[in-house]
Amino acid sequence: MLFHTWPFVIFFLIVYPVYLILKRTRFGPAWLLIASYFFYGWINPLYVFLILYPTLVDYAVAARMEKSKRPRMWLAVSIFNNLLLLGFFKYADFITDNINILLSSLKIPYEIAAPGILLPVGLSFYLFQSMSYIIDFYRGDIEREKSFIRYATFVSLFPRLLAGPIERAGNLLPQLDKKAGPTIEDFTDGLSLFVVGLFKKVALADYLAIYVDKVYSTPEQFQSPALILATFLFAWQIYFDFSGYTDMARGVARMMGFRLMLNFNNPYLATSLGDFWSRWHISLSSWFKDYVYIPLGGNRKGRFNTYRNMFLTMVISGLWHGAAWTFVIWGVVHALGRFLTREVEQTEFYKEKVPKIARQLFVFGFVCFAWIFFRAESINDAWIIITRIFTSGIADPYCPVFALALIMIVWLYQFLYESRLKYILELKLVRIACAVLMILYLAVLAPSSEQAFIYLQF
Amino acid sequence: MSVNNTVDFQKTTVPFSSNCIRLSIGQWIIVTVICLAASYLIPVLWGRIEKYSPGPDYRIPYEMSNDYWLYERGCRLACSRNETLVIGDSVIWGHYVSSDNTLSHYLNEIADDKQFANLGLDGIHPAAMEGLLRYYGKDISNKNVILHFNPLWMSTPKLDLQTEKEYRFNHPKLVAQFTPKIPCYKASFSARLSAVTRRFFTLPNWVSHINITYYNSSDMPAWTIANPYKNPFKTVTFLIPDTDEYEKPGNSAVRRPRAENQLNDTPIGVPLTDGYQWVTTETSLQWDTFGRSIQLLKERGNRVFVLVGPFNEHVLEGTSLDAYKELKSQIEQWLLQNNIAYYAPGALPAEFYIDVSHPTSEGYALLAQQLCVNESFKTCILNFSWD
Repeated sequence: MLFHTWPFVIFFLIVYPVYLILKRTRFGPAWLLIASYFFYGWINPLYVFLILYPTLVDYAVAARMEKSKRPRMWLAVSIFNNLLLLGFFKYADFITDNINILLSSLKIPYEIAAPGILLPVGLSFYLFQSMSYIIDFYRGDIEREKSFIRYATFVSLFPRLLAGPIERAGNLLPQLDKKAGPTIEDFTDGLSLFVVGLFKKVALADYLAIYVDKVYSTPEQFQSPALILATFLFAWQIYFDFSGYTDMARGVARMMGFRLMLNFNNPYLATSLGDFWSRWHISLSSWFKDYVYIPLGGNRKGRFNTYRNMFLTMVISGLWHGAAWTFVIWGVVHALGRFLTREVEQTEFYKEKVPKIARQLFVFGFVCFAWIFFRAESINDAWIIITRIFTSGIADPYCPVFALALIMIVWLYQFLYESRLKYILELKLVRIACAVLMILYLAVLAPSSEQAFIYLQF
Repeated sequence: MSVNNTVDFQKTTVPFSSNCIRLSIGQWIIVTVICLAASYLIPVLWGRIEKYSPGPDYRIPYEMSNDYWLYERGCRLACSRNETLVIGDSVIWGHYVSSDNTLSHYLNEIADDKQFANLGLDGIHPAAMEGLLRYYGKDISNKNVILHFNPLWMSTPKLDLQTEKEYRFNHPKLVAQFTPKIPCYKASFSARLSAVTRRFFTLPNWVSHINITYYNSSDMPAWTIANPYKNPFKTVTFLIPDTDEYEKPGNSAVRRPRAENQLNDTPIGVPLTDGYQWVTTETSLQWDTFGRSIQLLKERGNRVFVLVGPFNEHVLEGTSLDAYKELKSQIEQWLLQNNIAYYAPGALPAEFYIDVSHPTSEGYALLAQQLCVNESFKTCILNFSWD
């Protein structure tokens, strides 16, 4: 059930009024839990059992941990259980494929049958959220949630269930406990977020996908300009797609009175790669920072260890995105980028002499290059794209000028937003005009196809 | 003026968003009013600005067979000028013939004071026709209506939409989406809901019209990918070429009806390999919906005359022919019992058919002549005047 489809509209029109009635009673969280499980079960009813299992385990582990003299052991049980689930559903095929390749290269006449498991949508997101609760509780950062209903709702809350943001217990659990219902302002704020997200997804991401899919499905048939253009457009497609999803998720949650964390903060205006990661998929970046990078030692144990920790974090982050070598390489490329630029970025020359726009363009260019690995169907395809970008001839890329114009408008908007001219965007008339134009564009000009969100595959 | 772009929650401060589009309730009301007004006014104004002259026959261009907004507009125009409307599938539309060789054209020639309008739609079948008339043919009231029934749709359970296996038929947005259930229709819940909502809002149908007319039946974004350097707004000329314009030789941008000399041996949509497995009027889904279409037209004050066939019986033999004759007799009985004027002619000469149900130009001319001497037709249509 995707936010921009009719089933969700009907689902929400039923769930929301009942929620408003029940919010102040003790049945509020229970209703949310039923709605969330229905939302997830709509995709596949068996998924309800899948989400129930880690929820039960982590709820029980937290209870045990509270009384146990060896909480570390219970923490290990929870993490092992969650990673096992993730490994089984997400990486089983990847692991068997690679073992088979290894056996074949060693000329061992044996092949392990591929499990052929489909990754349940949202699994990576809610397992990470559940793990963060256990780790935070182990660290003493939060109190144990006594109510199973509230805890299960925290793990499965439907607006953020499929693709985040990956919320922290410290932010979301107290909100579930709150008896006060959503205000009119919550509703209008949620609506504002939802409309912007819908526009990003349907009007922009799905539009750019038409060109990107065409080029990336057969990269060997295209010349350098088309490959560069498709990569540029993909950078925006994935941004519009994922941040659009997040905006809609935050909007729906906000209408119900929940404040979910900001997940994207105009990442293509970043002036360094570090800055980029503090603006892109913030809930995941901060998760890796808090639960991987810092526990590994962060930047406290010298330059070598800092880079090692950074490298490991980026590679794991790449692998989180998908069970394929292309994602691992994407992580490695970002890690290498951080190594090469971190020192330069800290120099006075870079900070003061290099114009901001140049820094932004450099970061954007690097991120675009890394996206090649993220989007390519295989390492071979990524290699074809990179070599053809530098070696193939020049041919008309049939550049969709209208799409470029839309991107430029968004880019300009973001520049203004982060400039002294932001007040122009804050004018009542401008805000109303933006909302009207987005809605009319969606109604009249938007692509008619219903495409799934890219990040649902992770 | 400043927009508060952060939200305090407990001790944490959650940034609202990374843009300024945050509206109050009052501002949302303004936005809603503007958008609702625009969604109502744009199609209305468009209908006045865009030039549409359907020609004397009113035949909708083949390329626009899925443009229900235009069909509704053509319907309104025809109803304001013509007393008699001829409604049906590609047999009435004239799939293999030009617009000056259709049944309605020949009827106009014979009875020139009656002005028969061709409101046939290529690819329509009874189940979809019911939806077409119910939602896009609301202007058809207090008129003479010649409603064509093509027995082809009852020639196999598949064409009668009864098979459990998915069958992708024409005009799926027009059929009943939820009830009565069409076994072979397997659209997603979302697609069905979308089809239902289109029936009650003009804007989505108008958008389809724009896409079909100006963007080669795709949408504007897809069109800009195919035509990257063209201005997508310049292609909107506010001019719908009439059918004759579409069918002019040399107009390669559009597909014209197939010429008679371009035929192959496979009739449209007929699974000859399966043979004919005629269904009965009691069990037929298509016949059931056809009955509802008659009922609907009558409820709207129309005088309904049903034309059955003429099916090309020359392609049938043995039990298949007997089954067809039995079916035709059932249809006639049903029409008699329900007091519906009709004409169910025998087969035209074999050379007057292009396939199992489509006559040649000469076939249409002959059919028009036969109709005009039919007593029931004369009473119901020719000799009746709404004045």
